[in-house]
Amino acid sequence: MVSKKIEKILPLVQKPGRYTGGELNSVVKDKSKVDIRYAFCFPDCYEIGMSHLGIKILYAAANERDDVWCERVFAPWHDMEEEMRKRALPLYALESGDPIKDFDLIGFTLQYELSYTNVLNMLDLAGLPVRAKDRTSLTPIVVGGGPCACNPEPLAEFFDIFSLGEGEEVSNELFDLLKECKKEGTSKQEFLRRAAKIEGIYVPSLYDISYHEDGTIKAITPKETAPEKVKKRIISDLDTVSYPDKFIVPFIEVVHDRVVHEIFRGCIRGCRFCQAGFLYRPIREKSPEVINEQCKALCKSTGYDEISLSSLSTSDYTRLETLINKLFDWTIPEKINIALPSLRVDNFSDELMEKLQTVRRSGLTFAPEAGTQRLRDAINKNVTEKEVLETSRKAFSGGWTAVKLYFMLGLPTETLDDVAGIADLSQRVVDEFYRNQDKPKGKGVQVSISVASFVPKPFTPFQWEAQNTRDELKVKQEHLLASVKTKKVRVSYHKIDISFLEGVLARGDRRLCDVIEKAWKNGCKFDSWDDSFKIDVWEKTFEECGIDPLFYSSRKRDFSEVLPWDHLDYGIRKQFLIDENKKAYAGETTDHCRIQCAGCGANRLNGGKCDALSKNMV
Amino acid sequence: MRLVRIWFEKKGMIRYISHLDLMRTVTRAIRRSEIPLWYTEGFNPHPYMTFSLPLSLGMESECESMDIKIEGDITDSEILGKLTAAMPDGIHVTAVTEPVFDPKEIAYGEFTLDFDGDFDREKMKEAINSLLSQDEIIIQKLGKKGHKKVMKELDLKPLIFDPAITDTESGVRLFVRLPAGSKTNVNPSLLADLIGKEVPEAVCLITRKRLLMSDLTEFK
Ligand code: SF4
Repeated sequence: MVSKKIEKILPLVQKPGRYTGGELNSVVKDKSKVDIRYAFCFPDCYEIGMSHLGIKILYAAANERDDVWCERVFAPWHDMEEEMRKRALPLYALESGDPIKDFDLIGFTLQYELSYTNVLNMLDLAGLPVRAKDRTSLTPIVVGGGPCACNPEPLAEFFDIFSLGEGEEVSNELFDLLKECKKEGTSKQEFLRRAAKIEGIYVPSLYDISYHEDGTIKAITPKETAPEKVKKRIISDLDTVSYPDKFIVPFIEVVHDRVVHEIFRGCIRGCRFCQAGFLYRPIREKSPEVINEQCKALCKSTGYDEISLSSLSTSDYTRLETLINKLFDWTIPEKINIALPSLRVDNFSDELMEKLQTVRRSGLTFAPEAGTQRLRDAINKNVTEKEVLETSRKAFSGGWTAVKLYFMLGLPTETLDDVAGIADLSQRVVDEFYRNQDKPKGKGVQVSISVASFVPKPFTPFQWEAQNTRDELKVKQEHLLASVKTKKVRVSYHKIDISFLEGVLARGDRRLCDVIEKAWKNGCKFDSWDDSFKIDVWEKTFEECGIDPLFYSSRKRDFSEVLPWDHLDYGIRKQFLIDENKKAYAGETTDHCRIQCAGCGANRLNGGKCDALSKNMV
Repeated sequence: MRLVRIWFEKKGMIRYISHLDLMRTVTRAIRRSEIPLWYTEGFNPHPYMTFSLPLSLGMESECESMDIKIEGDITDSEILGKLTAAMPDGIHVTAVTEPVFDPKEIAYGEFTLDFDGDFDREKMKEAINSLLSQDEIIIQKLGKKGHKKVMKELDLKPLIFDPAITDTESGVRLFVRLPAGSKTNVNPSLLADLIGKEVPEAVCLITRKRLLMSDLTEFK
């Protein structure tokens, strides 16, 4: 329950439902009966955080334990923060309303770089020093996880520990250790020393970083109990790992308000720009029977009327048809809709297509990512123009009239011809519609193309690449706009300035901690929100700190350079990434994992097993 | 298929969710309750559900109602039981009845305005009394002129009925009857705001107690 003082300010803010807690299926425990109070923080607003699957999984897993009470915390929106600061009300957890500074463990999920300033702001709002070294008592321990933990260096000074990889199991080990240290009354330092021995736990303060004169890293040296390399954790068997049978059902509308079910982890595709595709390897599938039962339980406990099957490239799930048929058995009579976010219509039988339509149709999306076959080969995006057109035709015959295409600008080896290729491909989709005999009667077609700027990320074959500068990207954007000749094609861009900052932070090192702290002090927060993002303040801050952001974003690295994340092991062999990088420049593709294992190395994390190979050899 | 009217209270923190969010919340609760709903035919079947009179964000209510269409054999008391079990905290189902009146005919609402906080009770009562004894109580209200939204002046004085001031355990309560419904509608928060200006320490909790027809019989 939130305090009376918080209740008083709720009438003064927008969407007070963000701050009340008390939603169905939220977990309330007796605080006198638990050993660990855990604040699970999502450094963005409620609607974004509550849409995230990871928080639901980890929240449920932690609360399965009687000795742990895990609660949720989101970043208060600007208006709420102002009211809280005016009255000196500290950041509280939604379930109990208690200030999180008194908790034992504060966890942040790091989903995107542009949430970093929010992390600092939330710590500050909680009444805690933002720097780990200034928080001297054993608790609260501040831990970070999620995809951005793969290069957490720009945040290294703010966090006590990072958890690499999948959190379901390692969280338990962390709870146990913290419980033990509290009981023994150890120092924080001793806790960190012991934590460093847990596989998957990275303690940044136990590593010394030295630099060459040119600013590149000379060495990363572990101290005391810290291992040379910290290996990420994975869950070996998705069928037996705990999965929530209840989701919290928000009162207010959130971005993804439905049952979400993860059907496999990892990706067989190996697109060279895609960090997620490498970060979550090896491939592990969940069985249709388990998914089906869990979806049933979730619909029952939430009352949701939509299930979204989530994964990277959903149609690569080997038993999709079996799964969907199982789900249809009960979802159709119960009028529950099934959404497949990354739908590749070509993989489906016509009968299945038919069934999917009797439910509800979501938009049709494709991600060719690049406009020409040459560039798609270079990035190993295994989509051909023929496929895009054929699938569009099929979809148009099935009644779809809107197609959304995703592209990127600034990919390595890209030329202006590739940029113009985006417009050409979109035009051909439009033409396909009008050529189609069975197109929906009396309707026009709308092809929306969404163009992101490529950001090189750690643990991808492009981790050494220079990101296009903002000026280079501007030229390419203009060229694309000039190449689009029809109103049937609508172009939208991501903001170049935002991608620029993302690029700096993604491959940054510890020297960026000062920049992030100062930018936050200068008023930066909610950087991923167009209206809140202040590029001028960031630019000024880089200057104040004497740091050239282009050193991080737009400098091509040598394969031999020590990278800030070289001491973190995500299973992917560096040599594999180097080979993939070279193949990109040679225009050579790599087959997806079902055709041939490319030897990325991630299967070593799972005792040599990778479901990409074992299950689909029909 | 038959139509039933579900009566419920909305209290506590859930008063901070909007009407739209309440509809979504209740729809899900009904799905969880597994009472046999009637669905529309067609491409995108959906259940029939209408709320009698939307409640403003931040207010509590003891007299909310909505109509739903039911299919199949189920008694009103079974519906009550199932819904009670499925509703989230803050929504308490009080009765399931056959609809008597048309919600469009609702004419008045009875409200209590509970002022709480660190203030002098006499000062509060005086503030309320002097406000209510004015010849006119002019407020600015957002209204429509053609398609445009414009600020309009409105005199609340002739629209306030049966005011009564009483002491509560922790403060002062003002009871009023105000026009409510699809024709004229006066939001009691207008009064609360005017009083709040005089006594800024006060926090006001508004509760809708009853809805009435034009002849002052209770909406059923
Ligand atoms: S181990 Fe082989 S099959 Fe598995 S993800 Fe890596 S490359 Fe693909």
